[in-house]
This record gives sequence, structure tokens and C-alpha cells, in this order.
Amino acid sequence: MTELGPDPLRLPDALSDAAAEALARRHGLQQASVRPGLVGYARELWSYRGLMWALARGEFVTAHRDNYLGLLWSVLTPLLLGASYYLVFGLLLGTSRGIEHFITFLTSGLFTYSLFAVSLTSGSKALLNKRGMMRSLQFPRVMLPIVTVLAAFVGQLPAFGVLLVLAFWEQGWTLPWTVLLLPVALLIVTTMGLGLAMLTSRLVHAVRDLANLMPLVVRLLRYVSGVFFSVELQLERIGDAPAWVAATLTYQPAAVSLTMVRETVMTTEELDPTTWLVSVGWAVLFLVVGFVVFWRGEGSYGRA
Amino acid sequence: MDVPEGDRVPSVIASHLDITYRVYGSGTGSDAGGPGDRQVDNLDEESLMRRLLARGLGTVGRREVQAVRDVSFVAYRGESIGIVGANGSGKSTLLRTIAGLVPPTSGRLWLGGRASLLGVNAVLMPKLSGRDNIWIGAQALGLSPAQVRAAFDDIVEFADIGDFLDLPMSTYSSGMGSRLRFAISTAITPDILVVDEALSTGDAHFRARATERITAIRENAGTVFVVSHNDSTIKKMCDRALWMDNGKLLADGEPTPVLGLYGRKYGKHRAVWRQRFDEAHRIADAEGAEAAAEYLRRWDKNASWE
Repeated sequence: MTELGPDPLRLPDALSDAAAEALARRHGLQQASVRPGLVGYARELWSYRGLMWALARGEFVTAHRDNYLGLLWSVLTPLLLGASYYLVFGLLLGTSRGIEHFITFLTSGLFTYSLFAVSLTSGSKALLNKRGMMRSLQFPRVMLPIVTVLAAFVGQLPAFGVLLVLAFWEQGWTLPWTVLLLPVALLIVTTMGLGLAMLTSRLVHAVRDLANLMPLVVRLLRYVSGVFFSVELQLERIGDAPAWVAATLTYQPAAVSLTMVRETVMTTEELDPTTWLVSVGWAVLFLVVGFVVFWRGEGSYGRA
Repeated sequence: MDVPEGDRVPSVIASHLDITYRVYGSGTGSDAGGPGDRQVDNLDEESLMRRLLARGLGTVGRREVQAVRDVSFVAYRGESIGIVGANGSGKSTLLRTIAGLVPPTSGRLWLGGRASLLGVNAVLMPKLSGRDNIWIGAQALGLSPAQVRAAFDDIVEFADIGDFLDLPMSTYSSGMGSRLRFAISTAITPDILVVDEALSTGDAHFRARATERITAIRENAGTVFVVSHNDSTIKKMCDRALWMDNGKLLADGEPTPVLGLYGRKYGKHRAVWRQRFDEAHRIADAEGAEAAAEYLRRWDKNASWE
């Protein structure tokens, strides 16, 4: 103020914090940017469900609007991806040894794993990428990772259409009755993805550099989860792996999800209750932990 | 200070707000890679290494930028408050915090009702049609699908985008885009409307309609915050002004005197005023505060000296 000299408009003395609070309370004002209760947060989120679908749809359409073939790419991309993996792993490296109906095995693994991969890459960056939106609109911030995963789920549906056609063709023009459980399996996998996206998006918001590690984690997980080889057969080949190593490799979230989806579409696989129980366990665990962890940070997002 | 009373009802109470941004990839402190690091002795090997290292690490770490420092004020229902200040003085950051979008680093903020930001930067999805964006924007403002349906035609009519309704927003002219954003943001009457230089876009007719709408919101006992670099806009639309400078709140009062004060520091006569204050400081030191005030009253009849 000194370089301005005298001040004909002296600032009103600031209210003390207690006086401000008293004034706010007397007139029923709500404190802004504070974390609501967990239940209130969940309820508020539920009231935004219409918007979440609109945004997820918008993101999906946006991703496919900019080129000549448009939505056709949502079918072409998985087909081409499946073909290139088949070329490398099925024909060149021969990881298909001992696996019947390898094309179905490979594509079901590939497409299911994509759901995971997107949750960890795009989902974890949901808060950073949508800063513009956070700075113009008010909504429960947990919507951002949710919308990203929902959009990925919707975007992946055509791929599962492709999978069904391939499985039908490769397995001698027949599908097992368990295929009716495929939607349930996909919902369980998506729930895991939701939890992971909530968890990692808060981590990445706090420590941005972690975003650079996510692609690495995704790749590592892709190679150990049996996308293009059978974890079960591989363990038999090693023979004397310790029990805990075998259990970890078989029941870690990504591997068990792949097994679950394969049990629904492959005639050679049978439904195993353990697979499903473990999957549901992971899904519930990730969702609850992810939601609570994200909620704990609400009221701090958007400043970075 | 006594609690302001009367029949005035507060709608925004800001208490000692500090807002700090994190900036990544530009070094860790204000001195990283700055001119202060330069050594005259360029041939000195050690110094060369140090400079190379400093340059290489210049993009490592993060620094904190204080955008708003210790700002406190109380705004009342029915008030229309203009925020003035130079670029980078923290106006927009303060507005975003009032709108509940950027949480304060410390200090507290209370709001009486829902705040909505009306900014030229409001983000909708550029590849989606105007129709889709109305649905997204209106729902994000808290309208239920039924309410959006009811308000839809009104929004389209106010935005006046005609046949462009079903085209992607990226094909809109900047005027069309900002008209649509304005129409969506004011589809509901927010209790606290925050306008970030939105009125500088659009043609004269639209500006007139927009001003009318803002007046209506104000009359419904809402509070309006406006950022503008146009003095006449502030004087016309606002009955109170806040001057932000370098993150601090320097003046709070009637628009005309606040703008006058702001003009003294940044206006075309700033050099003259700087001289007068230097002189006043000299007088104050030599002859006391009253003499300094007396000196300044030659140009400002309300002048005082602390």
C-alpha cells in the first residue's frame, strides 16, 4: 500500500475466522470446497447418473467421429489387433502350444485386458486431463474416473461382439450356454476397473510422475497375466513353482478376470466357482477402497 | 469489526483465502536457471559444469505460485460486484474459488446457495453437437432430465444458433459458442453468478440481452461477480468493486473511487501519481501525516494519510 500512498478507501477489517463462521452459521451459508460425508457423497453421485452416461457417450462418440470410417473402427481396431497378436504369438513365437481354439483364447484375453489397461492409463489421468472441466463446472469429482472407465466399457462392447463371432466360428459353429454369463463377467471386470481408476487417479493427482509409470505397469501385467499364453500350462511346464507363486499368478486380478471371461465363451473351459468368487472379491475390494480413497481427497482436486 | 447487520443477507463470506498453484517442470524455486545463476567467469570449468547441470535440471521439480494471498470480504444478496486488476493479479483464480471450482489452499469460504461460473472458457465437448452439449451442460448445472427438456427451447432461442444446433460445437463461430455457453449457464438462476469476461464477446444485440439477463438474476436477490477490463462496464453493471493486485485485495468499495485508485497505479497518469506519492512520503516524514494529506488533497479531496 505504501507505494500508493494514502488509501481513501480503507479496506474493511477482515472478520476474524470465528466471526466469519458465526456470520455464516447465522445466515445458513454452507462452507465451500469441503468434503461431504461418505454417504452424502455417494448420494450426490447417484443424482448425477444421467450426466455420467451423457459424458461417457460423448467421449465414445468423440473418439470415433474424426475419420472416414467412423464407428466402423470400433470393430476394425480389435480385429486388426487380434490379427497382429495372432501373427506374433500364435504363429511366430508359438505360445499357442497346447491351447485349443487359440483365436478365441487370444482375443478374449486381449479384449478383456484392454478394459484393465484403459482403467490404469486413461483412468489414472482422468483428473489431470479434465482440469478444464473441473475449473468450469461443479460436480462430484469421482465422476471423472467413472466416466472414463464407462466410456472405455462402451467402446469395448463392439470388440466383444467380434469375440462372440470369432468364438462361434472357431469352435465349430457353436457356443457354450455359459456365454449368457459373459455380460456378468464383463460387469465384474469393469467394476474392478472403476476401483482401480479411482485409486490411481488420486495417486496421479498427488504425484503426477506416476502417470509415466502406468504404461509400464500395464505392459508388465499384460505379459504375466496370460493374455497370449496359458498361465496354467506354463505353471505345469515349470513344474516346481512354490504354491504362493502359482496362486499369485493364477488369482491376481487381471489373470483371474481373463480366466473368468474365457470360462464363459470357450467350450473347453468349465465354470469354476473359485474363479468367480475371487473375481467378485477383487471387484468389491477395489471399488470400496477406490471410492473411499478418492472421497478422502475430495475438496482438494483441481488446484494442481 | 462488528458483524455487518441490517436487513442485508450475506451470500459469500471469504475468510483469509490463500490459493497456491503447483507448477511443474519449471524448476524448484524462483532462482532456478534465473539470471542470478550466471557467472561472469565463463571459462571456469566448475562453473560451466554447474551451469550445464542447472540447465539440465531446469525442468525438474515443481514450484508453487501464490495466486491469491489473504483475501477476505463479505458479499451480500442483490449486490453486483466488479473485480478489477491487472492481468495475473489473481482475479480469475479468486472467481473460480468463489464458484467452488478451485479449492483454497488455506482460509475458508462460505456460500449461500449454488454458485455457477459463466466463463468464455467453460468447457463443453467441442466435437459434440450443440444439442448434446446443452444436455451435458444443463445437467452439470444440476438440472434433472425433465428440467432440461423444459428449458431446452428457451436455451436454443436465447443462444440463437439456428441450424447449427445439430452440428459439432467446433464448427461454431466464437460468438455462437459463447452465446450458447451463456444461455446454458443462465438456464437456471444461480444464487451466485460468476462472470469471467463473458460479455466482451458477441455482437451488440447479444450483449444487451446478456446484460438484461444478468440484471434479472441480480434482482432475484442473487449476487453477481463480474471480471472486466472495461471501466464503463464495471461502472454500469456494478455497485461495488474489489481491486486485486498481485494476489492481494487492495481496495473494496464503490466502483468509481476504486477504479480511480486502480488507475493511479496502472493508468496513463501513473508516473505523475508516483511522483506525488513520493513527495507526500517526504512531507509525511518531515512534517507529519496531516501535512502529507493536505498536500494530496490538491488532487484528491478525500485523501488521507496513515
